[in-house]
Amino acid sequence: MTMANLSKVGLQLPTYTFEVERVKIKEFVQAIGDDNPIYQDKGIAITEGYRDTPCPPTFVTSAFQEFTGAYFKAFEELGIPLSKVLHGEEEYEYLGEIYPGDMLLCKMKVESIVQKETKSGKIDLVTLQTLFTTQTGQEVLRAKSLIIERR
Amino acid sequence: MHRYIDFHQLEVGESLPALRKGPITKTQLVRYAGASGDFNPLHTDDSTAQKAGMKGVIAQGPLIMGFVGQAITQWVPKRQLKRFKVRFMGMTFPGDMITVRATVTEKKYEGNTLKIVCDTVAQDQNGEVKLSGQFEAFVTK
Repeated sequence: MTMANLSKVGLQLPTYTFEVERVKIKEFVQAIGDDNPIYQDKGIAITEGYRDTPCPPTFVTSAFQEFTGAYFKAFEELGIPLSKVLHGEEEYEYLGEIYPGDMLLCKMKVESIVQKETKSGKIDLVTLQTLFTTQTGQEVLRAKSLIIERR
Repeated sequence: MHRYIDFHQLEVGESLPALRKGPITKTQLVRYAGASGDFNPLHTDDSTAQKAGMKGVIAQGPLIMGFVGQAITQWVPKRQLKRFKVRFMGMTFPGDMITVRATVTEKKYEGNTLKIVCDTVAQDQNGEVKLSGQFEAFVTK
C-alpha cells in the first residue's frame, strides 16, 4: 500500500516567510566552524564586493526547520511520519546573495513522488522544490530536497 | 585578501586543496541544532539514537554539507557559486574527522567567464564517504 499519496504531486504549500538575521548567520557559521570572515565581518564583506555579510551556501536549510516548521507541515500534508523520513539529497541553485534583514518569501511545492523497490523494501522518493524571493521580489535561491520515505 | 583557486591554471581531472576538519564534537551537534533549528534528538540525545539502533548521536547531514560549503567558498568566492548538490551517503559520529575533497570535471569558457564544474566528496578518517556531490561556479577572468 502506498504511503506518500501520489495525488499530492504538484501540491503547493502555503507561502511562508523567513527573516534572515545577522546573529543567526554568525551562529550558523560558528557551529560549522567556518571562519571565512565575509560571513561575520561586514567591512571585509564589502571589500570583497558584497553589500553586507552574505549567507553561507547551506544557510537556507534553517528556513525549513523549526523556525518556520516548513518541513513538518510538508510531511504532514504528504502523510509521511517523521520517523520514516530520511534526507537523501539536497541541491541549491544560487540566483543572488541573501543578506541580514532580508525577509524571504518561501514557496514550497511537491515536485515529484517516485516509488522504488529496493533490497530492503519499497521506498518513496519525494522531491520538494522551494523558491526563495526577497521582499523586493528578487529570486535569490532555488532549493530541491529529496526525501526518502521508508516503508 | 584571501587567495582563491585560479581555475585557469587547473586542468580537468586535477584536485583542489583538501579541507581537513577537526573531530566533530557532541557540543558542535548541539550548536548546529540551535543554529539550524533541527532539534531532532537523534543528534543531541544518546538514548534516543541508541533506541533507533545507533551507537550514539549522529551528525545532521546538512552540517557535513556545511563543511563542504566551507571548502567551496575557500576555493571560489561565494558570489561565483551557482549550483551545489549533494547526496547523503553515510552517518557521521562525534569524533569523526571529515576531509572535503574536490576534482575539476568540466571547464568551459563562455565569453569573459569560465564555468567550472567539480565533483566533491566528504570522507571520514577511515575513508568512508559521508556525502558526495557537485558544484558549479562561474569564475571571472
